[in-house]
Amino acid sequence: MKGLTQFITDLRNSKDHDEETKKINLEITNIRDKFKTSLNGYQKKKYVCKLIYVYLLGNTEINDFGLKESFDLLRSSVYSEKQLGYLAVSILLNSKRHKPLKDHMNFVVDTLHSDLVRDLQSTNEEFNCLAIQFIASTFSITGTKAFTVYDTDRNADKWLDLIDMTYAAATSPVQQPIVKRKAAITLKVLLEIYPDVILKNSNWIPRLLKLVDDPDIGTAISSIPLLQLVLHLKPQFAISIVPSISQKLYNIIIEGKCPASYYYYNSPAPWLIVKLFQLMEQLFLLTNKDDNQIISISSLDEQTVTYLRQTVARSIQNASQPIKGIPNRNSQSSILFQAVSLAVFLEASTEAINGAMNALLILLNSNETNTRYLSLDALIKLTARSNSTYLSSKDKFDEILPLMLLLLRDRDISVRRKSLDLLYTICTFSNYTTIISKLLDYFPTADFTLKSELAIKIAHLAEKFATDSTWYVTTMLKLLSIGGGSNSNDSNYMGNEVWERIVQIIVNNEDLQKKTAKLIINLVKRSLNRTPQGKAPAPPLSESLIKVAAFVLGEYGDQVIDIEDLNTANQFQLLYEAYFKVSLITRAMILSTFLKFIVNFPDEPFIPDIVDLFEIETQSIDLEIQTRAYEYLKLVTIEPSFKLAQSVIKKNFPIFNTQKESPLMDRLGSVKEIVGRNRSRSVVLAKNINKIDAINEESENPFESESIALSPNWYAGYHRMLHYDAGIFYEDQLIKITYRVIKEAHNITIKFTVINNSYKTVGTQISGFTVLNLESLTKSQDPNYTLHIKSLPEASIYDKTTMEIEVKVRNIVENNESPVLSMTFMCGGSFNHLNLKIPVLLLKTLAPTVLNNTDEFAKRWTQIGDALGIDKGEHKTRIMLAHRYTSSNVSRLLSRVGFAVVFESPEAPDALIRVAGAGIIHTQKSNYGVLISIAGVDQVGRELEITVRCTGGGLAEIVCSTLSEIFSGKL
Amino acid sequence: MAIQFLFLISRQGKTRLAKWYQTISQKEKSKISRELGTLVLSRRAKMCNVVEYRDFKVVYRRYASLFFIVGINSHDNELLALEVIHRFVEQMDKMYGNVCELDIIFGFDKAYHVLDELLLDGYIQESSRKEVLKRVDQQDELENMDEFEHILS
Repeated sequence: MKGLTQFITDLRNSKDHDEETKKINLEITNIRDKFKTSLNGYQKKKYVCKLIYVYLLGNTEINDFGLKESFDLLRSSVYSEKQLGYLAVSILLNSKRHKPLKDHMNFVVDTLHSDLVRDLQSTNEEFNCLAIQFIASTFSITGTKAFTVYDTDRNADKWLDLIDMTYAAATSPVQQPIVKRKAAITLKVLLEIYPDVILKNSNWIPRLLKLVDDPDIGTAISSIPLLQLVLHLKPQFAISIVPSISQKLYNIIIEGKCPASYYYYNSPAPWLIVKLFQLMEQLFLLTNKDDNQIISISSLDEQTVTYLRQTVARSIQNASQPIKGIPNRNSQSSILFQAVSLAVFLEASTEAINGAMNALLILLNSNETNTRYLSLDALIKLTARSNSTYLSSKDKFDEILPLMLLLLRDRDISVRRKSLDLLYTICTFSNYTTIISKLLDYFPTADFTLKSELAIKIAHLAEKFATDSTWYVTTMLKLLSIGGGSNSNDSNYMGNEVWERIVQIIVNNEDLQKKTAKLIINLVKRSLNRTPQGKAPAPPLSESLIKVAAFVLGEYGDQVIDIEDLNTANQFQLLYEAYFKVSLITRAMILSTFLKFIVNFPDEPFIPDIVDLFEIETQSIDLEIQTRAYEYLKLVTIEPSFKLAQSVIKKNFPIFNTQKESPLMDRLGSVKEIVGRNRSRSVVLAKNINKIDAINEESENPFESESIALSPNWYAGYHRMLHYDAGIFYEDQLIKITYRVIKEAHNITIKFTVINNSYKTVGTQISGFTVLNLESLTKSQDPNYTLHIKSLPEASIYDKTTMEIEVKVRNIVENNESPVLSMTFMCGGSFNHLNLKIPVLLLKTLAPTVLNNTDEFAKRWTQIGDALGIDKGEHKTRIMLAHRYTSSNVSRLLSRVGFAVVFESPEAPDALIRVAGAGIIHTQKSNYGVLISIAGVDQVGRELEITVRCTGGGLAEIVCSTLSEIFSGKL
Repeated sequence: MAIQFLFLISRQGKTRLAKWYQTISQKEKSKISRELGTLVLSRRAKMCNVVEYRDFKVVYRRYASLFFIVGINSHDNELLALEVIHRFVEQMDKMYGNVCELDIIFGFDKAYHVLDELLLDGYIQESSRKEVLKRVDQQDELENMDEFEHILS
């Protein structure tokens, strides 16, 4: 556009600001006039462009016109006009914002809803992109006080429309990658505003989780922020995505499978790798509402863990080799730091962590400032999260201390700050004296901006580790005297927290009071340049020191008056001298101290001086000082015996309540945050112990609120698995799953084989086969059984793949507690989701026990009846059968489920069926004997009576109902 | 890794391009860019490319007369942000053919365009250099087509 270029050149040639403003105003009037006439698309574009340029130059107040023309452009079917239209509308609408954020957003949705829907529905992918991009940039709420849309909101349906369509764009198999990428990020933006969509409905999640498997690297990268949000909202789905992540990482890092165009210099897809590592780290940090980690190493299958460990190890190894070129080095190092940060969660051995630390320590000597900075950062994180004491151990610490001190004097403040943080992190009982004394030495030369942080860290470390009270007081007073700031430039490096904290500690520890009083008198003397010999010039008078001195001498000065040089007269002289050198607020404190002197030592010769001072200060221009001076003057003069003043001054200062967290903690800054994110396993476990009782009461299940809809035709396989130990578990046109059950006392192993049915028929491959969830429906605390996926199926299935699940029965399992296996897979572009129930029942642990004859059976039968009583030990049920049974049918069925058949009535027409069997049920806690007797009720064998006796109370009923389900095929 | 903002300033402290992925007031924006401008310009060469500022980290890099400044969350990966800058520069370089400050002043729409294809809502959406440029070219073509049609009509 020539006109636009001309306009920009013209503006740039302006001599000064006034000329520029003049030119802009002229052009604005011109545009205003032009807009009144009818314009074609090109002209509209040109003037709107100029308007935007003016706006971008910072003239944001000109926004009262142009919006209508922008909307015209936006609704045009010409791409370039539409594009500019979106740009202009987003700029101009945003500038009109005077309302609260939520109202503004709702206003935008109301205004643009129909336009956006039209463009989202368009078959032109460029139009889709424009609309999606507009949504992402307009509705992003990062960094603000977020607002939330709820179902009850007036225009919730309009929001839902947009979310629905974005979701469709992100997951549709026919959509172009470019649209998918943008849609994935945009969906995240929208869900942040309207999280209920995900919270109240999990149907979308499996499909969204598949995005990370997308072969298009750009789509995978863009999907990660979305997944982070979704899994944060619904952490129970986190575990199902871990195998995909580890597989993807393995493919890129170990196998080097990455399209050439996604190589950044020599490293394959660094952005994706870092993001996957970050996502993985976030997943390890997820907790459920009982504050337990959702994912731990033990809950993952072996292959996944191995892949993750390998990728982390390889990344660390890659970065420790010499690398040429800055971009290469940077991308490798960025992966390294991310890998190190993840390593802690993979239960890396101590040696592995020490190895990583050594690698980082080498990098500290690097010439590049960035590397030094980031290595320090990684060391801090690693130390804090792994609770490693490697760097604090005697030898290592002595080795790295000189380096650390060097880094404290690095030429870059970012590095200096980080090395301070690292020293803070590695401080322990064994090295605190060294670290603190080095930091105190460093203090005078430290940057101005670093000083306050330094002071707080020293104070906090001293408080945390000090065991010797004299050391503590000496150190802290030293800190105050060198870092307390001075009146001359009215600058104070230290927040009030530091000296206030010291006073708190002195008040609370009686044995410190006398010592402190002695020390502080000497320190104040030194600061006032009354050092006897001509030593090195003392540091400038420290405000904080005088504040503490004013307090301590007023309260505890009387404890040292028997020592020469330290008597009250001297104390008074010191404070009196300091008085005129300090700031007003400190003066006010000293006035209070003087009042205490008057009350405590009414006969001292300097008392008249104090009274004089009070009198002078009643004329002070500072309100606080004037008030104090006047009040104190009255207190001491109204009554000569100071009785009134005595009643004001309390004899003993009340003890501070230090239950609360030290105020210093609030000021620690970033280091505290890192430490806070560290969760040591032992803490988590300890928490569990306390909670078990409370939780047992109401068996909590995170999934309870949502019952899972099982896939159609699930029952056939479930029922088959109830009584056969091998067979077909599920089958449809695409997929067939067969199983084999291997029983070994209370351990049951179920081996599944997943067969690709579609390969034979239409030759398509199944991809992205994921076990979304293996959901145990038993109680979460002290579960009756545990599940472990020993090996996961391969994600891509040409022919078949296998998976193995291990079940450990710990206690009596109720019949309604069977787990549900959720799987998702893609086949020929279609997304499939299966929810199948696996029978995990007590009867599955049944093993036959051989009884010699029917007499022994009868004997045991009576024993159980006597021991437990009929109502507890026995259960009877009658069942109607769908077809005829004979005694040999029944006996075969019993031996299939695991009974040893003791008696079987001979087969004869019209004879009643009678079969008896015995077996043992195994659980981890105990084993139970089971006896069964089945009797025909009618001659045709269509109705049976099952009687079960069992050595465990209540067990008979469970066994009985399982058997009747096997017989009748109904729940 | 969410990028909070990205802007380009010249050595004289003039803003050449700015993109905010945070919803904050105009006043706040100009305050941040002013403060960061002084902060970054005052740093000497060979210093670390990361500065801590308020509660986020600022990663910057100088290319000829321009400073590219990016703000990221404190727990984000700094080096990668640095390489985001580099990728952005590479892409502009490829597009303008040896990019210079004037290219960005006059062709600011294109620079924004490249940026929008690289980042969306502060998240990187496409890390391949080819892909981004392909997109930008496609759209240039679309625009040319429009103009062509306009002339014909």
